[in-house]
Amino acid sequence: MLEVKGLSKDFGGLHVIRDLSLSVTAGERRVILGPNGAGKTTLFHLLAGTLKPSKGEIFLDGQPIKAFDAVKRARLGIARSYQKNNLFETLTIRENLMLAAAAALGKSTHMVKDSSRHPDIRQRIDEIAEQVSLADQLDQTVGTASYGNRRQLEVGLALATRPKLLLMDEPTSGVGPTMIDRFHRLLEQLPRDITVLIIEHDMDLAFGVADRITVLNFGEKVFEGTPEDTRGNATVRDIYLGTGGYHA
Amino acid sequence: MFYQTKFRSITLIAALIFLASYASFGSYFAREIVVEIIILAILAISLDLCAGFGGMVSLCHGAIMGVAAYAFAIMSAKLGWPLFPSALIGLLAAVVVSGLVGWVTARTNGIFFIMATLAFGQMAYTFFFKSRWLGGDDGMGGISRFDLSAIGLEMNNSLTFTYLGLGVLLLAYGLTAMVMRSGFGRTLSGIHVNEDRMKALGVNTAAHRAKAMAFSGFIAGLAGLIAAQHTLYISPELLIWTTSGEALIVVILGGLGTLVGPVIGAILLVLMKHEISDYTDYWHAFIGLVLIFTVLAGGRGVFGQIEYWLNSLRSRHHDPDNHQTAGKPQGGDHA
Repeated sequence: MLEVKGLSKDFGGLHVIRDLSLSVTAGERRVILGPNGAGKTTLFHLLAGTLKPSKGEIFLDGQPIKAFDAVKRARLGIARSYQKNNLFETLTIRENLMLAAAAALGKSTHMVKDSSRHPDIRQRIDEIAEQVSLADQLDQTVGTASYGNRRQLEVGLALATRPKLLLMDEPTSGVGPTMIDRFHRLLEQLPRDITVLIIEHDMDLAFGVADRITVLNFGEKVFEGTPEDTRGNATVRDIYLGTGGYHA
Repeated sequence: MFYQTKFRSITLIAALIFLASYASFGSYFAREIVVEIIILAILAISLDLCAGFGGMVSLCHGAIMGVAAYAFAIMSAKLGWPLFPSALIGLLAAVVVSGLVGWVTARTNGIFFIMATLAFGQMAYTFFFKSRWLGGDDGMGGISRFDLSAIGLEMNNSLTFTYLGLGVLLLAYGLTAMVMRSGFGRTLSGIHVNEDRMKALGVNTAAHRAKAMAFSGFIAGLAGLIAAQHTLYISPELLIWTTSGEALIVVILGGLGTLVGPVIGAILLVLMKHEISDYTDYWHAFIGLVLIFTVLAGGRGVFGQIEYWLNSLRSRHHDPDNHQTAGKPQGGDHA
């Protein structure tokens, strides 16, 4: 479904991603692990098209997409939720979802009908609100919503476009255990026609949802395997627990 | 985001009734004032669409209005085309010029957008100012009036003309309101609030902004046509940047991002101008004071502020415990 070959990204002399190859099958839940600075978020930038790779190729369903910008890739079905909230702050949660739903349903260029009353858009808003547990907060302005609600909306905006490939950058960063459980359930309930790449620091969540795990360190893939293999792998343990590296 | 609330509909209808009464009970001079208000209000609605919803504070809207007026005058007075197709060409010219400005400036924001539009506007102004064929700074006359006698309207009657102008104002408002609450308009608000996220949702934001400018040009073009029909004479004065500045003052005075606010703002500005200039030559200073007060009072404008108060009252009334959402304007603040 997603095929990455020999991907590299340099910022001047700094090699943030080095010769990275990935192969993700349709419907897979792939967790990306790695200490801070390993290049995880940069990888998402490269996949979503907000950064151009220095080298390498990216294929989505066999189609080379390296030349496409972020807008075109979004239209091909790549959606992304951000590590730091990137929302429409002055609008309500409903309006946020409305924008995403209208874009996904091809209504963002329609000039006649009131989009807030469009049945398809309303239905999509209700579905997503249910999915990310925001049904009771829809009329709250994002700027005044709780941090947890904003994290949920962050994922909701990505889901509202009904993506083929969902890139989730630390969806649970900064939230408590209840919310993490809720995300866990959300991920389990996601239909299998969505392929998910997720950067996650919560190990229980990561090991719980992953089909396979890819571990990055200093921009390189240092390990890839099932959650069981990952748990027992010495390299991964070193990166995460010892030998002077970061603790995630 | 824009919502056509009941309060907005009532205010708009009240404003139109006020203008119609002012014209019918007043003298010829009163009708001149009302037409002046109509032109300014339509131009301000067109600017509110860009500035209030799209965050594109344009200083070339006067020029776009002028382009429509000149294109109309060139086709009808210079080339002898019938008035109706000439008017369509006038509108088309405004759409094309405005869309082009929007396309070129689509990746600029804030002060750079303002400067770019100022430059485009002044270029257009200079072009007409220097053009001998179009009368240069003397302007251009010889425009004839629409003949609507077939449907029983005598356009040379100042009252009929004013009523028709009010009809165009209603049309301009209705079209803009329709577009602003559509998927297109709401997406424009979204681009204003967070352009990057809008791109990540698959919206070509640059093209969207250019289209918004083109549509705004259509509305400004309507104002240009009325201006040309009103005096049957046009001059480069229409295009000068202070015309755009005046429209911006009207938008801010009435309430940015409300669409009704610009109509109220135009009424206030023109009436203040005429009333106060009876007593003093320093009427500009008075309007300046009012504007400063409006901005310091929260920047919502006269209409926007009243709407804000009403919404605060209403949400307190509905939900006495919820102070967090109290006072959130339900019909979109600046977005």
